Amino acid sequence: MIFLTVGTQFPFDRFVRAVDNIFDQGLIDEEIFAQIGETTYKPHNFESVASLDKNLFDKRLKEASSVISHAGIGTITMALSNNKPLLVMPRLKKYGEVVNNHQAAIAKRFSELGHLLIVYDVKDLPNGIRKLKDFIPRERKASPDAIADRIRRFLDSLQD
Amino acid sequence: MVLSKNKNLKICLAASAGGHLTELLKLADSWQQYEVFYVSTANMVAKKLNRYGPTHVVGECNREHLLRVFLVLFRCVRVIIHERPNVIISTGAAVGCIMCFLGKLLGAKVVWVDSITNVEWISLSGRMVRHIADLFLVQWPELAEQYSNVEYSGAAI
Repeated sequence: MIFLTVGTQFPFDRFVRAVDNIFDQGLIDEEIFAQIGETTYKPHNFESVASLDKNLFDKRLKEASSVISHAGIGTITMALSNNKPLLVMPRLKKYGEVVNNHQAAIAKRFSELGHLLIVYDVKDLPNGIRKLKDFIPRERKASPDAIADRIRRFLDSLQD
Repeated sequence: MVLSKNKNLKICLAASAGGHLTELLKLADSWQQYEVFYVSTANMVAKKLNRYGPTHVVGECNREHLLRVFLVLFRCVRVIIHERPNVIISTGAAVGCIMCFLGKLLGAKVVWVDSITNVEWISLSGRMVRHIADLFLVQWPELAEQYSNVEYSGAAI
């Protein structure tokens, strides 16, 4: 199962419609389950829900063979920490899908680092989905502990 | 006693719902020993945050909707007067920025961790907060070289 998710804050019709169309063309041979948030377009080729609570989201993610999504940092983090092959298409400001293009910037950097695949336009989606099948994401070594440690030292210094 | 000493600090943890909050919560080890409260932007995350500490939802705002900015600002003022934190820790965005400035006005120390999504430049909020921050962290080493008074110590994600 491919897990498609676009977050819950804004619609992402351009993306959901494109994936549905690709399914129509017979280019996807796997079942899709989608969490589409505020998206008004309703896909007819696969099951979709507006939102999932955290447990159900985690369950779907763990079951999935791969993930296709918007470039939300929350989704990226969860896909990476579950070692799932991930294809993202950033929301773009010019389509009113997001208030700035930060999504595109972080996704581009992560794709350069081998953590995920990225497409910027719906016309590149079929190719991206095809590549996703054989994509092995490079593990990301994050260091939240190092930041936490730095902040802890700062807080300790306030006590002296 | 270390524990009783640490109770001297009350920390405000401020982040917009979504990625900013995800990043902030990754740093939870740093404030385990302190009294904390949360400020975020959406009711959806309040349920989760309430398990970790008192939570204030002040609503979302950005530069493009000035009236909302004033409404959120007003709510933030109420929170800060009510809670009187000694430290503000924020990963952004606008609401975090507002809490940092209000906190500073009342004498709080400010810790800003600029979001990892800011790859080439620090965020707009971060650029403002940088002038009043007591500790300013970025999550890409290149950014620490690009700006003064900015440190890199790792990436949360």
